[in-house]
This record gives sequence, structure tokens and C-alpha cells, in this order.
Amino acid sequence: MPRAIVLHRDDNVATVIDNGADAHSKCQLRGEQSGDVVLGAPIPYGHKVALKDIAAGGEIKKYGLIIGRATAPIPAGQHVHVHNVESLRGRGDVAAQPR
Amino acid sequence: MSFLGYERPDGTAGIRNWVGVISVQDNLNPVTRAICQGIYGTLPITTLFVRGQFGPDLEYAYSTLAGMGRNPNIAAALVVGLEPESTSVVADRIRNSGKPVETVVIQNLGGTIAATADGMRRAKRLVVEASKQRRRELPTDRLIVAVECGGSDTTSGLASNPAIGRVADRIVDEGGTVIISETSEFLGAEDLFAARAATPAVREAFLKRVLDHERDAMTRGVDIRGANPVPDNIRGGLTTIEEKALGAMSKAGTRPLVGVLDYAEWPTRKGLHFMYTPAPAVESMTGKAAGGCQMILFSTGVGNSIGNMVAPTVKVTGNANTARDFADNVDFDVSGILERDQSLTEAGDALYDFAMGVASGTRTASEVLDQRETAISRFQPTI
Repeated sequence: MPRAIVLHRDDNVATVIDNGADAHSKCQLRGEQSGDVVLGAPIPYGHKVALKDIAAGGEIKKYGLIIGRATAPIPAGQHVHVHNVESLRGRGDVAAQPR
Repeated sequence: MSFLGYERPDGTAGIRNWVGVISVQDNLNPVTRAICQGIYGTLPITTLFVRGQFGPDLEYAYSTLAGMGRNPNIAAALVVGLEPESTSVVADRIRNSGKPVETVVIQNLGGTIAATADGMRRAKRLVVEASKQRRRELPTDRLIVAVECGGSDTTSGLASNPAIGRVADRIVDEGGTVIISETSEFLGAEDLFAARAATPAVREAFLKRVLDHERDAMTRGVDIRGANPVPDNIRGGLTTIEEKALGAMSKAGTRPLVGVLDYAEWPTRKGLHFMYTPAPAVESMTGKAAGGCQMILFSTGVGNSIGNMVAPTVKVTGNANTARDFADNVDFDVSGILERDQSLTEAGDALYDFAMGVASGTRTASEVLDQRETAISRFQPTI
């Protein structure tokens, strides 16, 4: 069973630490939360999975702190990354905004 | 806890007992190296440039050279210079730490052969004298530990950095000092780190350093914030700059920020400090060693082999592949956090025990393999 590590008990994402975390597989949580989450999509090694439903505009929490905001609703088990998260402070995969 | 260290006249505590042979300018490096090659127990502290530097840039060079001579791991210093004026600038700054300081001035001695012979005799005497020092049991509060990362990957923010952070918390809780640097890595999470400042003055000083650095880079055409995370980071799973910065910051642990230091500046109080340095490891570690750090905890994901000349550097990885394939240059493996469900606390505590062993004399890979280098940061061009 693939595993994902949670770094803080308040986090709503976990980071996958195995290869082969396919859609519909159950992913076991390690670290500061326990249990498991059923993946709704394949999640590559090192990428994040949502632990609970996150509303559009909702905060993404890792290390117990806010690392970004959802740009669309993210159901539990979905891939959390640049396609559905925006930085609150600037990001590198789109052209820089004038500041 | 405690460690076995060397007491210095200024009250600092060394974890090694070297005689430092220090080049005042780059033109002395061949003599410095020749002296060190001939005398066991010496460390060559070399540099590039200095001659022709001026203003604040020159002040950084002198303060870093002298700072490395003042580092508690140095029992005595031999300062090698071309002419008396620049030599005495560096020598005097080391001398007021109370440790023995001698000089070799090439122009006074009539060339490099005479200077090398003179330097070797002095170094031999200093090494024998230093060898009469004995390690004594000393409390953790005498330690100034630097934290550093290089060759980061996904495992850095998940395992090796948080494990180092656990050690940082223990050191600070026992009255010691921890220094984190690499200014550009805070961009994206600078507000979060600033929120840990012990006083408003510290908070303002920290934010000013980080934001000035960003602005300076921007005037040179580098948009750090806009460029991060880089494509490799995104491919590896990092989504936002704040996620990347928090991963880097986790090696500082969770204790309050009590001071903001300039490059190579010594802390004047105990606790967690930030030092303004560039991000690349050799420069960053040079600044921290010059600021008095006896030891460096260095987190690496994909593998980075370089250590500091003066401060033993403990290479820590959370990447099981690196621990295996880069084993020659890895000191401590915390990949159990990811591979075998070892808790962060367990891994951090095991690393703490290892680090205290290094403080008491356990050798690190970069010391034994002599993978050690010095680079003093430049902020202006030479004339």
C-alpha cells in the first residue's frame, strides 16, 4: 500500500512517499496523522494529496502553516499541485505579475 | 547534555584544536598551503581577492578572515601576509581573543622560501603548544551550531530538514545557539519566520535584510520570488514558493528568533539567529564559521559533499538512495523517517546524539576526506 507522510496534525494535505500511488488505491498515512485516504487520481512521489475536501479559495496547510490557496474545489484524495493551488506570495510557473 | 571540548581564553569552546594558517590576500595562498602541507595539525584558511577591495566589501573580507581565526576550533593562528599593514589588520583582530597569534610577512622575510621556512617553524611551535590543551566536559550552552542545506530535493523538506530542526530546538533549549542563513531561501515565507521574532526590533531587522536582498537581486535582473519554485521543484512536487521556503526553514526548528546577524558577525546572545548570507553552501558556511559556529548540520537530498574548513560539517540525508549511493560523503541517514516510519523525534534525537559525538571528537566525512573549502562572499567588484 502506498504511504503518504503528514508533517503536522493540522495539515490538510499529505505528501506521497512511494511510487505507484495509483487512482483508487488506498494510501496509508504516516507521521502526525494516521488512517488512510483513497486516491481519486494517480499521485507521483513527492506530490501532495488532499486529506479532506478543500473548498475553492480554501487554505492548503502543510507544516501546520498555509502554503497556498485552492483555485478550485479539491475533494479528499485528489492531487494538490500547481493546477489547483495558487501561492499567496508569487509563483514560478506563470509569468510574474507586476508588483 | 554536555560534550568534551577545548576552553579558549575568551570563554568560547572549541570542538577541534587546529592551528589556523590564514592568508590575508589571495597572493599568499601558495605559501599558506606550503606551510600546511609541511606541518601536521594545521588548517589552511585561504581566500581569493582582498587586495584591491575597498569599503564595506574589504571590511567583510577582513572580518571573515579574522572571524575564522577567532573561531573556537582554532587554538592558535598564523597570519600570512604580503606587507605589514594588511597583515596586522587581520592579526590584531584575532589577537584580542586571547589566543596565540603570529605573523609571516613575505616582504619582510625576503621571499617565499624564507617565508615558508619561517612559517613552518612557527606553525610547528604553535601546534606543539596547542597539543597541550585537553578536552574538558563542557555544557551544551557553549555550542553555536549552524544549519545549512544544499542539493535539496523532496526529502529535504520532509525528513532531513525537520530532523535537523529537532536538534536545533534541543540545542536552544539547553542554552546553546543555532544560526540559519541563506537569505534568498526565506522569500515566500519571510512573514512566517518574522512572526517568530522575540522583539519587534528583531522582526524589522530580519524583514529588512530579506526584502533588501530581494530588491538588490531585482535590480540585477533576478526575480527570486517570481522564479520559484523552479521547474525541477515543481516536477518534484513543490507547489508554491512558501511551501519551498517552509521546507528550508524547518531546519531552524521552532524556537523564537532572537537576533539578526550580518555576514560573519558573531552572535552576542544565546538562541536562534538568522545570518545574512548568499545561498550557495561554501559562502554560507564560511560566513557562519567566521561568526563562531563550531559545527554545521548540513541537510542534503541528492548529495552535496563539501564541508567547511574550520567547522566540522555533518552531512544528513533523508533520501535512502543518496544514503546508499553517496555513502562516502554522508555522515547521518534519516531516511528511516520515510522508509521505516521512524518518527521525526526519534530521528532528530539520534542525530542530536551523533552531533554531540562530533562535538566531542567524532570525525565527519568531509574532515577525513578533506572535502573542505572556503569562500568569502563578495558584494562589490575589485578596482
